[in-house]
Amino acid sequence: MTISHEDALMQLDIDIDTTLHSGKRSFRLRMQFASDSRRIVILGPSGAGKSLTLKAIAGLMTPASGHIRLAGRTLFDAAAGINLTPQQRNVAYLFQDYALFPHLTVRQNVGFGLVRGWRNPGLDQPHAAVDYWLQQFDLQHLAQQFPDQISGGQRQRTALARALAARPGALLLDEPFAALDRALRVTLRRELDQLQCRLALPMILITHDPDDAIWFGGHVLKLCDGRLDEAELDAVKDQR
Amino acid sequence: MDIHSISITLGLSLKVAAWATALNLLLGVGVGFLLARGRFPGRALLDTVLTLPMVMPPTVLGYYLLVVFGRQGALGGWLQSQFGINLIFTWQGAVIAAALVAFPLVFKPARAAFEAVDGQLEQAARVLGISECGIFFRVTLPLAWRGILAGLLLGFARAMGEFGATLMVAGSIPGQTQTLSIAIYEAVQAGQDDSANTLVWLTSLVCILVLLAAGRLAPGRIAHQHAQ
Amino acid sequence: MGYTTMCKWMIAALLATASCSVLAGQLLVSAASSLTNAFREAASVYQAQHPGVAVVLNFAASGVLLQQLDKGAPVDVLASADQQTMDLAQQRGLVGARSDFARNSLVVIVPLPQANPGQLALRRLADLGQGGITRVAIGNPTIVPAGRYAHHALQAAKLDLQTKTIQTQNVRQALDYVARGEVDAGFVYRTDAALMPDKVKVAFEVPQAGAIRYPIAASKHGPNAAEAARFIDFIVSPAGQAIFARHGFLKP
Repeated sequence: MTISHEDALMQLDIDIDTTLHSGKRSFRLRMQFASDSRRIVILGPSGAGKSLTLKAIAGLMTPASGHIRLAGRTLFDAAAGINLTPQQRNVAYLFQDYALFPHLTVRQNVGFGLVRGWRNPGLDQPHAAVDYWLQQFDLQHLAQQFPDQISGGQRQRTALARALAARPGALLLDEPFAALDRALRVTLRRELDQLQCRLALPMILITHDPDDAIWFGGHVLKLCDGRLDEAELDAVKDQR
Repeated sequence: MDIHSISITLGLSLKVAAWATALNLLLGVGVGFLLARGRFPGRALLDTVLTLPMVMPPTVLGYYLLVVFGRQGALGGWLQSQFGINLIFTWQGAVIAAALVAFPLVFKPARAAFEAVDGQLEQAARVLGISECGIFFRVTLPLAWRGILAGLLLGFARAMGEFGATLMVAGSIPGQTQTLSIAIYEAVQAGQDDSANTLVWLTSLVCILVLLAAGRLAPGRIAHQHAQ
Repeated sequence: MGYTTMCKWMIAALLATASCSVLAGQLLVSAASSLTNAFREAASVYQAQHPGVAVVLNFAASGVLLQQLDKGAPVDVLASADQQTMDLAQQRGLVGARSDFARNSLVVIVPLPQANPGQLALRRLADLGQGGITRVAIGNPTIVPAGRYAHHALQAAKLDLQTKTIQTQNVRQALDYVARGEVDAGFVYRTDAALMPDKVKVAFEVPQAGAIRYPIAASKHGPNAAEAARFIDFIVSPAGQAIFARHGFLKP
């Protein structure tokens, strides 16, 4: 497929420095890198600061200093006093345990971001986009079920559908395969790979499993104890 | 006491308790949310102060209300001069007394219910672009309402039984401020044991029904609730 | 402090409080609310003259005192603000011989200073029927003698104040409401009004069909009958009568 001019620009430019305190211990995160790749993988052991980085990009955590720019938009700039709220950032976040709304059906979950205002989407409210995404992830038959009535893999798909239905500019995935068994993991890796190709949507994935990095490819960064591994910073931009 | 008087007294008790609970719904949920989510200095102190009505003797509360809302009081004088309103000896005054006494029973469960809502769900809603108000009504409140309702029912039962503060502030005017509890007290004092017994049975029955309803709202699996 | 130690301390504290409850030589006196100040003085004088006797005072509306005695409270002496309560007590076999020890008069009081500058002056019962008077404190007639006296007087004057009546639990509560300015007027005894000269003012005396006489009697089943008799003798003695006179009561 040809890469159009707009497609080529992912432009994640992140440079943040922040310290978190919990009790007597503190953790310092210093992230600094730029990438034009549409697939970025942040690899590192647990406690390295991967989730924190992702949350900073989504706006769920405000760093002490630095800036974050994505696709030409400045999401955060401490010096200039810019800090877009999560609502304004137009990114999608896939939480590690999916964060599906337990009081809403699969259908209502998927359509959640499409309805502004103070009322949730109705149980049977017809919506073309919701139907489309339910179909894309093979969830039509589960539309009226509640999150605790469906399996782990189905929950992940619902979370993905919910994230993508809102038409985000980028997709952030927090250890998307960690809670799944081996077979499911293989299946979903392939699905995610195909999804990214088809949608050409920039994705940033964090994981502790090197296999995920190999499979997903793209720009792989190694994060350890709040700092990027210097030697790996010149990674090859490998887009499959 | 005849059936007519008893029904008037019961009606008054229910009216006062209902209004007091409605008032506490607004204030209690608001304060519960503020204390659950807010991060401000003095938060713990505020929680303690607002819990005081639960441990203070109702007569002490009644005295404070009388001093504040009476004609010579700070608020009472102002209400009188500005609006011509005097809350003492009125059913509205009884509502204030009952609401004050029951307030901690409403805001504490509300706070706990809000704190029990997974913050990550609210984060998810944020990223999906929903406003803070939208998140409150679409995510936080639906997940917290059972705990809030349980607190409201306890508050209602307490308001029904309120006596000490009400007696001081609202007096005992049959048909206007003589609630069930006060009627029982006066019946006992006057040696009218038959009346007292009837009223006691009636009040106990109402309170038991309310507590049974509250018990059914014990937190359970939401799927179980939906499956029915 | 360990859990076991704390338990031991708590139990010890509880037992300590339990041991101070019953004293030998204790006299329980139930007296009407209007007698509060006079009986407090009488009790302390009596105790000074009879060391080893502790006079425990119990004040409430006369009707309430009757109920307490009727239900078995360990009362030694009953002093009520009206004859009717004592009649009932004798009918139910609760008390023995009685004697009158004081006389009082019923008055209507108004708040002072008057919050409402256009406050109408009250000179007689009929004035209470005026539109400007919206709230009048009267004791609950079923249990408060002052309330009963007030109702008799109102009935005699063919005056119906039901819409304006704020019913109180005892005569001192009526006094308090007037003192706070929560009501426009109240029915209390002259002796009560004299307690708060800076807050209330006597508007007029309420005409009564008969005199208001206070009786006192020893309870038949009280634990300390001998002491009760001595106490009553003191109340009716010149020394006791002087105390009541000082508090504004009249001779029976």
